[in-house]
Amino acid sequence: MRRGTLLILLGIALVVIAIAIAASLLHGGLSAKATPTRLEAFVARNARHLAIPRNARLTQNPVLDAPEVQREARLHFADHCAICHGNDGSGDTPIGNGLYPKPPDLHKPATQELSDGELFWIIENGVRFTGMPAFSSNGDHDHAMGNHGGGQDSWKLVHFIRHLPHLTVTERLEMERYNPKGPEDRTEEQEEDQFLNEATPKARPESQTHKKK
Amino acid sequence: MKVKWMTLALALAFAAGATLAHGNKVHIRGKVERIGADSLQVKTPDGKSVEVKLVASTVYIQHMPVKPGEPPDTNDNKPAKLADLAIGDAVVIHATPKGVSLEADEVKFSSPESNKVAAAGKAKS
Repeated sequence: MRRGTLLILLGIALVVIAIAIAASLLHGGLSAKATPTRLEAFVARNARHLAIPRNARLTQNPVLDAPEVQREARLHFADHCAICHGNDGSGDTPIGNGLYPKPPDLHKPATQELSDGELFWIIENGVRFTGMPAFSSNGDHDHAMGNHGGGQDSWKLVHFIRHLPHLTVTERLEMERYNPKGPEDRTEEQEEDQFLNEATPKARPESQTHKKK
Repeated sequence: MKVKWMTLALALAFAAGATLAHGNKVHIRGKVERIGADSLQVKTPDGKSVEVKLVASTVYIQHMPVKPGEPPDTNDNKPAKLADLAIGDAVVIHATPKGVSLEADEVKFSSPESNKVAAAGKAKS
């Protein structure tokens, strides 16, 4: 085949690919409700993998796993991460479901098979073009859970992410107390609690007394 | 190196900003009418019967009233199981619509018995 013909064929192929990409992007008016195609997910995963420096990928977790470390990380996750990832790490939350791409299910191999160093790097640096922000401990990031400078809190979160597939209901209930909640959420929660409190006639007069106050 | 730049360029092409959205979760309150092996029927305060599917990931929580004088989010809710649930129990179900049905994510319930125990505890203290 002549060189000129080859170049024309290559040009046509590139135009077709460009049209396919444009159609994929513009379908649905760039709505974030869509789910990334397999090609997008493949490209994004590989781009992220390539973007993480090799030495960062191989870094070992310097923080030893312990019950107190797990609890600290669990409450930190509830306060900072669960709004998108959910307390159970499934990503099935109102905000998570509205993101493009959706937060990954942290139980799944795509996350669990990442090295500790990769998880740490992602927490510290975030992932561009997604909803994942950088939680780097340099700068003035103020942690509500206390002073965890030097990336210690991110390393603790790595331990918690490893624990997520084994999260107990008791741990989840504890986390719910630390989830950030708006006035509407609090009101709804109180109404639901009141509904459950009124399950017996004995509980009802107490609830009504509180109402009168 | 070329592969790396090509991958990054493609990633840029696919990039789209994050956005917020309202959730599609459904909250159901009512009394348990029927308990099946994989479903629960609830009668809501306005008299409607709603069926919710129970799946392996459904979490059951026994609601315990907040102790007097304690903040509202300091209840002692306990993990439970489907067998702990009884007909007539008050329930709050957080469910996800799946097609034409509802799939329970969380079933929080308060049984008259558990509230009697809690009330007795309050009386003693």
